[in-house]
Amino acid sequence: MHVDIWIAIVVAAIGTYALRVVPLLWTQRHFNKHKANNTEARLPTWLSVLGPLMIAAMLGASLIPKAPSAASWIATAIGTVVTVLVWRKFKSLGLPVFCGVLSFGVAFGIALV
Amino acid sequence: MSQLSSKSGLKQGVIDGLPLLGGYIPVAISFGVIAVQAGFSTLEATLISIFIYAGASQFLLVAMVASGAPLWLAVCMTLLVNVRHVVYAPNLVPYLPQSKAWPYLMHGLTDQIFALAHTRLPLMDDAKKVDWFKGVSMVAWLSWIVGTALGGIAGDSLTQQWPILDSVMPFALPALFLVLLAPKFSSKLWSATLFVTMTAALFLALSAFKNAAIPLAALCGAITFYLLTSHVERKQSHAR
Repeated sequence: MHVDIWIAIVVAAIGTYALRVVPLLWTQRHFNKHKANNTEARLPTWLSVLGPLMIAAMLGASLIPKAPSAASWIATAIGTVVTVLVWRKFKSLGLPVFCGVLSFGVAFGIALV
Repeated sequence: MSQLSSKSGLKQGVIDGLPLLGGYIPVAISFGVIAVQAGFSTLEATLISIFIYAGASQFLLVAMVASGAPLWLAVCMTLLVNVRHVVYAPNLVPYLPQSKAWPYLMHGLTDQIFALAHTRLPLMDDAKKVDWFKGVSMVAWLSWIVGTALGGIAGDSLTQQWPILDSVMPFALPALFLVLLAPKFSSKLWSATLFVTMTAALFLALSAFKNAAIPLAALCGAITFYLLTSHVERKQSHAR
């Protein structure tokens, strides 16, 4: 591998880390300043709204099956419904995911047959 | 989210991170396969996963390098795909206790870790939070690294032998996002906003804007939120 490709990879790695850590340091400094002045620090509304929206966007994008077909879309719909139903019943994290994946797999298998 | 109880923070983090394995390992194996096909060695592909550790952008970087694109452009595109990460840490800061570990731990702040932390940290004792984050991010990071190495060494034969790994296990990620998002459907305003965001992301990811689907969909959601909020405020001021 050429040295210039490695330099590009190192720059991409440092840049990606900076995108994750610099906003943390900046926001912590903002919150600490408010703490020192005995005032309440708050995130700007637009920023706090973006948190759940990013999760919703990730959900939407990740719903697309790796190999889209009628079988995989049907399995996705069934897996989604099962995940929600199990979550409503148990309000836990692992079990709904497990049941969702299992029902997706079973539905995908049946739809392919 | 009932069982945030007596377990140690590290143990709880590891348990919470387990559903990620179903999504991370198959995608990491695919990355290992593609990186090796593009001319990288297994060690090089694994080092990329260790140090960049950002799914979609790694695929893009490797594909651009392999196609002979200018390296500055490959780096810029990688960072552009990852720019969505800038909103993650600020959304977690209100829930983070003081610790010098947080800046180092931010290397592990992927999309999925953010989604987990945003839902789990508000419900947890401050004393457990650093260890919880270490546990959950270590599970995710290690699975990404091991998956890449496996993909580089034996990816093709692995997916041929166990097609379930490639076709079924990745559903763990949408299922996880679904569980993390479900409690946020708490009002009509948020339900409508989240639904618009999810739908926009789905269609954008199916279109030519695949790499920009997440930020663009979040933007659609933010516009929806502000339109609905101002509509409600206008209605309330007319009623007075």
